[in-house]
Amino acid sequence: MLPAMAFVTLDHVAKTYRGRGGDWAAVADFSLGLEEGEFFCLLGTSGCGKTTILNMLAGFEPPTAGRILVDGQAITRPGADRGVVFQGHDSLYDWLTAEGNIGFGPKLAGKSRAARREIVRHYLTMVGLGGQGGKHPSELSGGMKQRIQIARALANDPRMLLMDEPFGALDAMTRAILQGELSRIWAETKKTVLFITHDIEEACALATRVGVMTRGPGGTLKAVVPVDLPFPRDRTSDGFMGVFRQVHGLIHAEIHPA
Amino acid sequence: MSRSATLAGYLGGFLLLFLVWHVAATILVKSALFPPPWPVLVRGWELIVDNILQDQIRASLRRIGQGFVIGSALGIPIGLAIGSFRLVRALLEPWTEFFRFIPAVAMITVSVIWFGIGEESKIFLIAYSTIFVVIIATAAGVGAVAKDKIRAALCLGANRWQVFSQVALPATIPYILTGMRLAMANAFITIVAAELVASNDGLGKMLWDARLFMQVEDIFVTLLCLGMLGFTADRLFRLAIRMFAGRFNPTI
Repeated sequence: MLPAMAFVTLDHVAKTYRGRGGDWAAVADFSLGLEEGEFFCLLGTSGCGKTTILNMLAGFEPPTAGRILVDGQAITRPGADRGVVFQGHDSLYDWLTAEGNIGFGPKLAGKSRAARREIVRHYLTMVGLGGQGGKHPSELSGGMKQRIQIARALANDPRMLLMDEPFGALDAMTRAILQGELSRIWAETKKTVLFITHDIEEACALATRVGVMTRGPGGTLKAVVPVDLPFPRDRTSDGFMGVFRQVHGLIHAEIHPA
Repeated sequence: MSRSATLAGYLGGFLLLFLVWHVAATILVKSALFPPPWPVLVRGWELIVDNILQDQIRASLRRIGQGFVIGSALGIPIGLAIGSFRLVRALLEPWTEFFRFIPAVAMITVSVIWFGIGEESKIFLIAYSTIFVVIIATAAGVGAVAKDKIRAALCLGANRWQVFSQVALPATIPYILTGMRLAMANAFITIVAAELVASNDGLGKMLWDARLFMQVEDIFVTLLCLGMLGFTADRLFRLAIRMFAGRFNPTI
């Protein structure tokens, strides 16, 4: 049975690809309900199918079985209600400035120049890039590019944010800073977030709930661990350690099967 | 490197070229068939004073310009269509793959039969040598647009047309310009060949006449002109690419 009132519902979702050596499953029998406003981290080993889950929810690929509903509506294609932050910065538009990138969605939505300027200024400040709006992506560091991606997704005022290992390519210091910023931004905007990661500490630091997937190919949801710790999170606190240990135990069994 | 250093480098490079030429002609070869730079430059100045050289250069450059513009104007939309639609690719790729192995030089005969030795045959040949390079570069550019760029646009509410016009097209521009730059070099090769065979004026015709009348200096003046014009055209094009696209693609 599903949680009937969930904001996002994945109901026995599966994804099978056709390959040369026959069909193979990327995701098998995955069911999950997300509440509005929660920060859900989906944690899994490489190749478990976590990115496939995000791609299906974004509408990039259809599931081969099961249903995906957002607010009761089946997902058939990508839409402005679901903002996506990608792992690489390939997705930024090199020919536009930071402002142009952030204003891209509002421009498509037909917002006036004045309204766009206001939106761009607001989100540029929110991601901590005030005064850098005139630069092109090639002039910005990896961390700044990810900030722009977050601002660009938020500028469209989506109902939820899908983040595919957005800090995976950053150095540890920058990653920690951006994790803190993301927590703050999430608290400010109250967006529902699905955050894909393979970093246990990152999941425990950001999430209100952590979903652990079984190893792939053809992974499914193994367990969901609620993280009832206050923000900003103290990563050296006993509570944090306890959650970390619990999640670590779950994922460790997938990395080193008995 | 700073701009002035680059300029000084070019200048030094050309001086070295003339020096090597001078040494080769006066010390190594010592033949009337290989004049040193100075008599060639003197002859070039005479041709300029007599208004002959300018006329030939103008004739050749006009043909290159017209054919290049026509070839690019046709090649870019065709390349975009090939890159965007699988059906168009399937239908037109045999054309591009077939014709690009027939060099423009091989088409001179046909174009003279069709268009005579007037302007049309030369413009046709330049357009011919331009179009396939531009098509292939453009189609490759469309194919190289990062998937995430398109996906990001779809998530920001773009429809198919907006994805094309606001993402795929601007992302492809550096490839288009690079293709045009390569095509420009092709055009210089083609124009000489075409004018050698069938023309009343132009640098190729000048080259041919000089051979007929054994005016060795004139041959070298023409060669010098072609090199300089090609070099200048390429630099101008690169400058245009830098101004137009450099800031969003630092690799150019």
